[in-house]
Amino acid sequence: MAVSWLSRLAAQATVPVFPVRGMHGEPVLHRLALAAGIELVDSPRHASILLVAGGVPPDQHDALRRVHDQLPTPFATLWYRSEPLDELAGATRVDDPDALPEALKTIHRELMSGKRGSSPRLLPDEPPNPWEGLGDDGHGGEGMMGGVPYGRPMAMNMTDDIRDGLTLDSLTVTLGPFLPMLPPGLTAEVTLQGDLIQSWTTHSAPYPIALESAFFQALQGPVPIAELERARARYHLKRLHFGLRLAGLERLALEALRLAFEPHPGQNRVMALRRRLVRSGFFRLTTTGRGRLDENQARRVGGIAARAAGLEEDWRSGDEGYRHLNFRPLTQREGDTAARWHQTLAEIEQALQLAGQAERDAVHTRRSDGVETPRGPWGEYRPEDASGVLEELLPGLEWDEAMSTLASLDLAPLSPWSLEETSEAPVPTSVEERRA
Amino acid sequence: MDYPLIVDVFFVLLAILAVVSGWRVFCTDSMVRASFFLLVSFIAVGVIMILLAAEYLGVAMFFMMAVEMMVMAIFMVMFMMNPAGLNPMMMVHQHKFSIAAGAAVFVVLAAVALLAEFPDTPLPGDLDPVKSLGNELLGDSMLIFESAGIVLLTTMIGVVVLSSHRGRYGAAEEGSMPPGLVPGGDPAGMPEENDEGGGHHHCH
Amino acid sequence: MIVSELILPVLLVTFVLVLGAYLVAVLDEAIAGALGMPRATSVWTAPLTQGAWLLTQQANATEAPDWRAWRLAPALYLALAAIGLAVVPFSPTLIPTDLVTSVVLWGSVEALATVVIFLHGWSANTLLALIGAYRYVALGLSYILISMFVLIGVALPAESLQFSQVVASQEGLWNVIRQPLGLPLFLIVGLGMTFWGPLNLADSRDLAGGTASAVSGPPRLVWNLARAAMLVAFSGAAASAFLGGWLGPWLPGPVWMLLKMLAVLAVLLLIGRLVPRVQPERCVTLMWVVFLPLSFVDLIWAGVEALL
Repeated sequence: MAVSWLSRLAAQATVPVFPVRGMHGEPVLHRLALAAGIELVDSPRHASILLVAGGVPPDQHDALRRVHDQLPTPFATLWYRSEPLDELAGATRVDDPDALPEALKTIHRELMSGKRGSSPRLLPDEPPNPWEGLGDDGHGGEGMMGGVPYGRPMAMNMTDDIRDGLTLDSLTVTLGPFLPMLPPGLTAEVTLQGDLIQSWTTHSAPYPIALESAFFQALQGPVPIAELERARARYHLKRLHFGLRLAGLERLALEALRLAFEPHPGQNRVMALRRRLVRSGFFRLTTTGRGRLDENQARRVGGIAARAAGLEEDWRSGDEGYRHLNFRPLTQREGDTAARWHQTLAEIEQALQLAGQAERDAVHTRRSDGVETPRGPWGEYRPEDASGVLEELLPGLEWDEAMSTLASLDLAPLSPWSLEETSEAPVPTSVEERRA
Repeated sequence: MDYPLIVDVFFVLLAILAVVSGWRVFCTDSMVRASFFLLVSFIAVGVIMILLAAEYLGVAMFFMMAVEMMVMAIFMVMFMMNPAGLNPMMMVHQHKFSIAAGAAVFVVLAAVALLAEFPDTPLPGDLDPVKSLGNELLGDSMLIFESAGIVLLTTMIGVVVLSSHRGRYGAAEEGSMPPGLVPGGDPAGMPEENDEGGGHHHCH
Repeated sequence: MIVSELILPVLLVTFVLVLGAYLVAVLDEAIAGALGMPRATSVWTAPLTQGAWLLTQQANATEAPDWRAWRLAPALYLALAAIGLAVVPFSPTLIPTDLVTSVVLWGSVEALATVVIFLHGWSANTLLALIGAYRYVALGLSYILISMFVLIGVALPAESLQFSQVVASQEGLWNVIRQPLGLPLFLIVGLGMTFWGPLNLADSRDLAGGTASAVSGPPRLVWNLARAAMLVAFSGAAASAFLGGWLGPWLPGPVWMLLKMLAVLAVLLLIGRLVPRVQPERCVTLMWVVFLPLSFVDLIWAGVEALL
């Protein structure tokens, strides 16, 4: 009796969902962030439902299984525009973004009432790295260096220490591809000393991101600038949402996201958002002037990162239509994390201002041999994966600095499909194919 | 002296806890656990001091030892090649010598406890321990305590300098190397490149 | 005698802690709702339903954790909160434990909290929890130092290390006015030691929940409860040290005390929702370069005032 009373109460709880961000899964997660009664949590341990949003390439299915098995029972899985793993063939699949919040709530209720059993464990419950210590205490052998207990060698890295000469206490781990702080799909091997990143090796690139179809149409012929610029503002507002949420400003993060979902967001509301950000201390408290890109790196990343580092590179300056609107690229000088956020906010305002102006005068783009995407110029080539800069950029940063730097950078390659077509886009089978 | 029986019961329990957790320090296979077993032992002693009406000293023991053991654990982890102190490791070395030293110290202390004559002057009932301690600290012994205090403060500042972003050998993001032992020499404390005898190997 | 010295204080502390922790959760939800977070259930039931869900969830395991420390840490943190609240006076006579050195005991609760938070992160044997643990230790020392100087400041006019004497010494003028720097600095300590809002560096979002990132089920419920309880205990200490504790006209002492604790909680929770998380590097600098010197100034201020 008491138990059923408890589970009835538990069924009414806000549904904690751990999202696995697969390919092109991001848009639906933005909708869920605004839905009442659903909480997107950061750790699989804190969730009751594993939501796989978007396709996961087969070579990362093992990682997906590991995340799946980390959810404490009772839990269930829900697959959004994604093929369930073979072992979970009976799992619920939902492809309609509008039906998703209700489906999540129903599954949670069914789990709590016992109508739905918990998802089975997929991997054997054994240590991923066997006990390979020498002797009773694991560190036998000469100089306490024998044995590799639990796959963790005693640290004897004679690499140059980048902090204070203490070379000993270092820990090497593999991060990704579903760690919520990293771009979806990115995996990296990281050596840490305390919370200081000593080395960062990117193993697989982030999943490609899809843009709205306006950018694709701009490559076919003239499109209304108002439409293009609003799409740009929406894209950046969603990135801002991620950055602000990471910085612990949930309220303003949601404000940015709500703006992104409005058909005609006002420029003054973005200015108000910027003022509130400055007043809350976002720029002074959460950035430390680190994460600075030099000219080469900035050029490799392109887009906002390049202009935040002072490069006046913008495809729009060469377009007659934009020149008609007196477009001039904005730049920052510093090129660090704070400068990139300043640049992002400034470009959102600029985009909305251009959109308003272009709408009045019904201005269209003139050039169609290329377009300035939010991710950088797309002329002859699509903007490609730029996660290579992380290997130079992140070592020497503390964890928090590294994560806020990552949030301020947009490194993923662009998808050849537009946002509207992504439901039909195939999932590549391996890392190599994604690189190609 | 009249005090309730419960005080005796608590004394025995705490004494057992202090001894057992002290013994566990040497049995555990982790630097961090060893530090905190020692902390438990000290806390038990602190509570015994409160039972002995040395209230201020007992409570001060809690926070002194909490911070000390915490710092000790962190320093051990920093200076041992055990990543984050997460790998198991043997916590005792030089067994024969330490057993002999332990036994000798135990005999001496036990002899002191059994043979020494302890003062037996009852204190006035209205004695305020905090006040008398204050008089002791800032009265005749002021010079000793103040100099000890300044030494501790210097140590603390040293620790902050060590752990700050501006590390011992320069700023963290610029890459810092220890200076050479002779002017212009190789960085000190770094192993030779071709050190065959030591059994070192690169793990990366 | 047993009733008045053992059972009553235990009941009082338990009641205030449980009620307070619930109110912390409700207040935080209400503030979040007022600031525009999407919300489905009522603020009054949300903490209960979440607690019920955590009770039905399995307590998970990690690879080779330090089981004893991992399971004990949340309970110990809750126990520390209870000890901290036990020395807070609710009226001249209603004091759970009227220790002569209660201010020092509060200091040792802060110091032991550092150990417990570190153990909670370290013993899970996973990366993100470990980083959270390291971070708290790196900052915990500065919180303890600031708190120490600020509390010595309030002990000076009272000429006592006893919270009840500290409250009694504010009969004429509350410490919040007598030592204007004290309360703001102490609130920073409070946010720090409960790792709440802008100073939530141990269990932060960039660590996917930090020391609690690998915890689920009942242990997580205890940990969340303990954090809220520590906030309540802290508000009790702050109300006695700076807001004149039970002092106040018309209403009985304990009611004044509870109202003042609620006010402190509301301020802390509001700060928690409005200010972004401070980067650890910046936080260390702020603590040692700005707030610690300010706490010296506060102490000198208190000393000069005590001499005049």
